[in-house]
Amino acid sequence: MTITETAPDTEPEASQPAPSPLESLATGTDHRFLGRAWAAAGGLFLLLCLVVGVLVGIERIGLDDAEVFGSGDEVFQFWSLYRVGLVLLAVVPLLLGLATAVTPLQVGASSIVFPRAAALAFWTWLVGAVVTVVGFLADGGLGTPDAGSQRQAVALTLVGLLLVIAGISLATVCVVTTVVAARTSGMTLRRIPYFSWSMLVAGTLWLTTLPVLAANAVLAYVDLRGRPAVHFGAEDHIWDQLSWAFTHPQVYALALPLIGIAFDVVGVAAGVRQRNHDVVLVAIGLFGAVGFGAYAQSFFDTPGTPVMEEALYVVDAFVAVPLVLVLLGGLADSLRRGAANLGGRPPAPMVLAVFSVLLLLAGTLIGAVRSVASLDLLERSTTGAQMTFTIGAALVGVIAGMLWWGDRIVGRSAPQGLGLLAGLAVTVGVVLSGLPDTISGFLGMNDFPGADEVTAGSPGSGVGVLNAVAAVGALALLAGALAGALVAWRRLGGPEAPADPWGGHTLEWATSPVVVSSERPLLDATVPTEEEVD
Amino acid sequence: MADPVVPAPPVRPSTLMVGTTLATGAVVMFFAGLFAVYFSMRADTMAWGSEWFPEGAIQLSPGGMNMATLVVATVTMAWAVHSVAGNDRIHAYLALALTAVMGIAMINQTVFYFNDIGLPIDYSTSTTLLFTIVGAHLVMVGIGVLWVGLLLLRALGGQDTRRHRDLVSAAALYWYATVAVYAVMWVGIYIGK
Repeated sequence: MTITETAPDTEPEASQPAPSPLESLATGTDHRFLGRAWAAAGGLFLLLCLVVGVLVGIERIGLDDAEVFGSGDEVFQFWSLYRVGLVLLAVVPLLLGLATAVTPLQVGASSIVFPRAAALAFWTWLVGAVVTVVGFLADGGLGTPDAGSQRQAVALTLVGLLLVIAGISLATVCVVTTVVAARTSGMTLRRIPYFSWSMLVAGTLWLTTLPVLAANAVLAYVDLRGRPAVHFGAEDHIWDQLSWAFTHPQVYALALPLIGIAFDVVGVAAGVRQRNHDVVLVAIGLFGAVGFGAYAQSFFDTPGTPVMEEALYVVDAFVAVPLVLVLLGGLADSLRRGAANLGGRPPAPMVLAVFSVLLLLAGTLIGAVRSVASLDLLERSTTGAQMTFTIGAALVGVIAGMLWWGDRIVGRSAPQGLGLLAGLAVTVGVVLSGLPDTISGFLGMNDFPGADEVTAGSPGSGVGVLNAVAAVGALALLAGALAGALVAWRRLGGPEAPADPWGGHTLEWATSPVVVSSERPLLDATVPTEEEVD
Repeated sequence: MADPVVPAPPVRPSTLMVGTTLATGAVVMFFAGLFAVYFSMRADTMAWGSEWFPEGAIQLSPGGMNMATLVVATVTMAWAVHSVAGNDRIHAYLALALTAVMGIAMINQTVFYFNDIGLPIDYSTSTTLLFTIVGAHLVMVGIGVLWVGLLLLRALGGQDTRRHRDLVSAAALYWYATVAVYAVMWVGIYIGK
């Protein structure tokens, strides 16, 4: 027997009350909405962290006393907030925002996989980020050298950090699963755009390293709560256990997606097909492998064999440089071949994308020099300089990506000139912050300078001037970020964006469903292959 | 003009399986981090000739019982997957229920043993690590039990079938990882001490 069911009568749609803005905000699962949410929240935390960075920079101008903050412990709390915040509350969330919005479009998926989990990830991260900041501001943070913080607030910070890691990890699962299992017909892994590929590699690394950071945080939390800490939760030990996540080589894994952004932007802007496509994919993968940093936990060093002097750590540092050079060579080749298409005014995202890879190269160079044990730079300010260059490179890459894909994510155009200015200010800020710290390391300044000369390592003369220059760099970073926020604000009120403003032919620009049948989707529609030209 | 050739629909892995694999991998890395700290500090302590755990503090039998329980639970979980794949609902009910019971039994045994162990958590770094690892694993088992319980309810509602078995397969993957993590604990902590 066949039963034919008729649809029940339903109320007309117009009579359904429209969801309130708050309701939409809390229940939104559209990947572009979530991408915007990550970007907005990450941008706000970026501004907060950069303000902290400026204060710490001013504090460092005079090393013999605490001038901005009340004590060395307070300096440490804000110094560590700047590092943790810049990475886990700002740059990584901004990259995740781009990835959440763009990768489903790039691989031809209708949406991000597990959209409710993706929304849960964002809200978990946001709650964790707020708790983390509150923990720091409530005299907590990740311990202090002289045990001058509130234990309950330290515990609160650790809980916040765990929530942040959980949120980032869950969002990463959604992005990576989308790339692996939701690609459209014909979109093999070799054909996916570079940004999606770099997110696949980076996401895999984040999922294998951030849980290790969570394990460190759980150990500290368990030891800290309710009784005198035995070892892991001692206030002067917590940061030492967690700091590996904010230095070489882990920072490479965290910044990796910038490479994908650069290749996607440069390829389309220059109007040429990227040569040696497979070599680029392999180089991105290898750079990711180099960035696996969970092993480099100097806190658990076996006496006599410091991990930072072991072969793997040093080789990692030196292999990263030629890998970035190979990638830079690939970009330079595309730019050379596409010079005629670029004209006199190359697009702002392309300029910033190239700068971001150059900054990454600087970061890897400093990392290589730092790892030469005889130079005695491992505990010096060179460590912070390397983080500044590498994470700063990712930030410039994010601005390039936002300018590039923002039209597609928001649907409105942004002032590109102001965006270029923002990116250039951040680039200048990174150089002005990182370069003096590199030199100060050679002069003997410690990574954490504290609030007295001894804690600072009794560095040589001239460090005060270098620190003043670094403070100016921190100000430039903040100015660049503010300009970036202004670009985002003006985009919201900007004119409606065209469907494909850059003439790009990767799937994120398609306005109707696409079946990939060619060798590679990039520019297939307009650019002949070299064989066809011949 | 000939119609354009439309390629066959893509053969992709199940999103649920890929997502579960990634999430389970992350959980395994969490434990890998804890184990790395445990074994590294244990090796350093013993290299100095110091005591890691007090003599006789960690007994083999409770750990061995838990291992046996989880091995049985692995078999019952595989049985559940096989039953759902074969649309054998009765066996699926039995297998899922037994798996959940084994998980609860393991939690019960562990909690009993650690109430009885006589080692405070702040006795030394070794006990802090021990309680953290065991506690985290209990949470992992607890999540597995809740997941299996949910599957049992779905199976009773007729929702876990041959055509819709991804959730059972994903739960099985997670469960096997739970047992594998415990196997490392059993060898490294209960046997190796």
